[in-house]
Amino acid sequence: MRIPLLRLLGQRLALAALTLLLLSLVVFAGGQLLPGDVGRAILGPLADPRAVAALDHQLGLDRPASMLYLEWMGRLLHGDMGLSYAFRRPVAPFVAAALVNSLKLAGLAFVIVVPLGIAGGVVAALHAGRWQDRAITLTGVSLTVVPEFVSSIVLILVLAVWLRALPISAAWRPGSSALVQLQHLILPALPLVIVLFGYIARMTRAGTVEALEADYTRTAVLKGLPRGVVIRRHVLRNALLPTITVLATQTGYLIGGLVVVETLFRYRGIGSLILTAARGKDFPMLEAGILTVGAVYIAATLIADAVLLLLDPRQRLGDAP
Amino acid sequence: MGQHRDRTAAAGGLSRRDLLARTGAGGIAGVLGAARPARAAGRPGATIRVAAAVPAGAIDPVTVADIGGLVLLQQTGEFLVYDAPDLTLRPMLALSWTPNPKGDVWTFRLRQGVKFHSGGTMVADDVVATMDRLADPKNGSNALSVFKGVLSPGGTRKVDDHTVAFHLDRPVGHFPYYVSSDNYNAIILPASYKGDFEKTFDGTGPFRLARYTPNAGASFVANREWWGGRALPARVEFGLYADQQSQILAMQGQQVDVMQQLTVQGGQALLNNPDVRLIKLRSSIHRQVHMRCDTGPFADKRVRQALALTLDRPALVAGLFHGLSDLGNDSPFAPVYPSTDHSVPQRGKDIARAKLLMAAAGHAHGFTVTLTTERLQEIPDYAVLIRNAAKQIGITVNLKVETQAAYYGAAKFGQSDWLDSALGITDYGHRGVPDALLSATLGSDGPWNAAHFRNPAYDRLVGDYVATTGLAAQRSIAGRIEALLLDETPVIFAYFYNYLIATGADVRGVEGTAISQLFLQSASIG
Repeated sequence: MRIPLLRLLGQRLALAALTLLLLSLVVFAGGQLLPGDVGRAILGPLADPRAVAALDHQLGLDRPASMLYLEWMGRLLHGDMGLSYAFRRPVAPFVAAALVNSLKLAGLAFVIVVPLGIAGGVVAALHAGRWQDRAITLTGVSLTVVPEFVSSIVLILVLAVWLRALPISAAWRPGSSALVQLQHLILPALPLVIVLFGYIARMTRAGTVEALEADYTRTAVLKGLPRGVVIRRHVLRNALLPTITVLATQTGYLIGGLVVVETLFRYRGIGSLILTAARGKDFPMLEAGILTVGAVYIAATLIADAVLLLLDPRQRLGDAP
Repeated sequence: MGQHRDRTAAAGGLSRRDLLARTGAGGIAGVLGAARPARAAGRPGATIRVAAAVPAGAIDPVTVADIGGLVLLQQTGEFLVYDAPDLTLRPMLALSWTPNPKGDVWTFRLRQGVKFHSGGTMVADDVVATMDRLADPKNGSNALSVFKGVLSPGGTRKVDDHTVAFHLDRPVGHFPYYVSSDNYNAIILPASYKGDFEKTFDGTGPFRLARYTPNAGASFVANREWWGGRALPARVEFGLYADQQSQILAMQGQQVDVMQQLTVQGGQALLNNPDVRLIKLRSSIHRQVHMRCDTGPFADKRVRQALALTLDRPALVAGLFHGLSDLGNDSPFAPVYPSTDHSVPQRGKDIARAKLLMAAAGHAHGFTVTLTTERLQEIPDYAVLIRNAAKQIGITVNLKVETQAAYYGAAKFGQSDWLDSALGITDYGHRGVPDALLSATLGSDGPWNAAHFRNPAYDRLVGDYVATTGLAAQRSIAGRIEALLLDETPVIFAYFYNYLIATGADVRGVEGTAISQLFLQSASIG
């Protein structure tokens, strides 16, 4: 039992390392295709060519691209993400701060949307075909299709500009308490809740409907177990399996894909960090940002697999009858 | 990128004669009496919250080239001369400036008793080191294009501790603009500067750094030792924003007091908002519609004239800028420049004449051309309007709208859609004087000459203009340049729009420039 699990974990980690290596190569190759060069991106399109050449030389960019990549990879293997071309500071603090911010925002969004989505899905399933089901499903689908920039602006106008109930900017003063940080994060978290609610609710509903119709549920009911116990122990445990997979796949979006929300709420997350780096051809920052998002995504997938193994004995035991 | 351009700031608002008059025996008292942006009476001790653009990179006076970076620079740093919003020069760290008779040596007398935030006193050595650093090609200086062919390393020489002489590579009648705030890289740094500006923002200005977090914000506190007295606000806080929309929302929510720049496109929510006061600065910000003069249908000037005649400029200005713009007359001479000759007739819309010109050029049935441009502010809309206008005379315009990086490419002939396209629209930021535009965008060997316009008569006139002293003489040559360009029409200059700064209705004393600088030492709230 333990050996297959360890082997599985080892395989997954090896695959993760390979994925990250390929990702770094793809990002680097893609970066080479972006128009313009770093010196000109910093100094502007009308800068004197001598100034551009001098700056490129200062940054070491007048060397072959393959050498730059190998040098960066060598540093990375020693735990050094390199220096940002644009900021001329170490990349790691930028990425770390942005990652922490993104995790805070994603965490808050998860804390709000997961219980809401699961509860909505379960209620819809328990009332399948009735008005409650239709209301939840319709609301969820409607909210999911609202673009983030629309929901964000509406929320800002209503909650921040008109009601003055919440701060517009998600950027809090340095040293602010957790409560103040939370206050700043609520507004940007809401558009994410709006996007994810329908998705999670639908997955939960589908899983719950399937579990409610399963033989083990009928057996539990016939055994005379109370309805609440049946739902908790037998239905939810099985119904949540696909939902967990869905949540894991949303991690990449929640960590690295929130450029619009981060921009509107002036939040320094990793999505906007990556976008800025791509625009400025800041290769070390771009690589570090994308690899970090990739690593978080892989980690989330691994955690989801582990949770699935815990929840579903069939997966632990393989094909055993 | 509009404000980040190389700016060979010379001639314009204050001619050499004006300067001589001001710095001569009769005028020196007036110059000495003037200072940085004037202080207004207001309640002291406010915290002014500013929404500004995120700097594109490190805050280094040598390399900064974007509005987010330059506005932070000048909170603590100062220039020898201040180019005011009305395009006149005022003393800042220099009290006076005088040319030799030939105009190739300029002597600046420095203000005494000016302290750097780090404690040292500003002297001539600091000015010499600053200018040498900016003029040295090895430093990757963004000011290099300003000083190219004008000031070389070693050209700035100390006369005594409080006097500096600039020995120029050639006579330049209005050299003070080159070292004014118009050249935003030219803040005076200590001679010992090691390229670590971000650590301390060491300068001589009214504010000193309290905190700077890249990508997030910066705060500054009043500098008690500032030579100009004490700034009115106790503190200024800059929040850095990646786009205009979030700045507008912050203004609407009254979570900031000043917005560094408001563009009409997307800014309607603030244009008529009673809680918002707009500071409107006439400027030389414009778009150049270049037409290749060396090849294709635009090689015939009648075709270029015809396209220019299709544009309804007042309607353009009303539609794109709510009227907050001056009309252009197909030359770099913006109406805001004192040297502009306003007697040159304004070009208007004349479709009948345009059709005659097209027929005379052998294009009675029109032709098809691609208009290449960049995705920035109103430019895509402007491109559509040009396409619609051109259709009236049979020209079919296909649009190619690109990212700025793709449009500019390597910014070299043969490697840039900007410089190689038959027809294109390019953004140009504000300049205190038109010299750089006259020579770089239209001169025969101009590095930004996307129109590939080559005209020896024009080159001579521009040379004369740059060398000429006295506003009347300048205006006379300007008139001839304007007439020549109106006839040749290598580039359409349809408008020069206003630079807008938004503040809260109760905010007073904010002064800015169309380069995106903000001078906040006199700002107050309430």
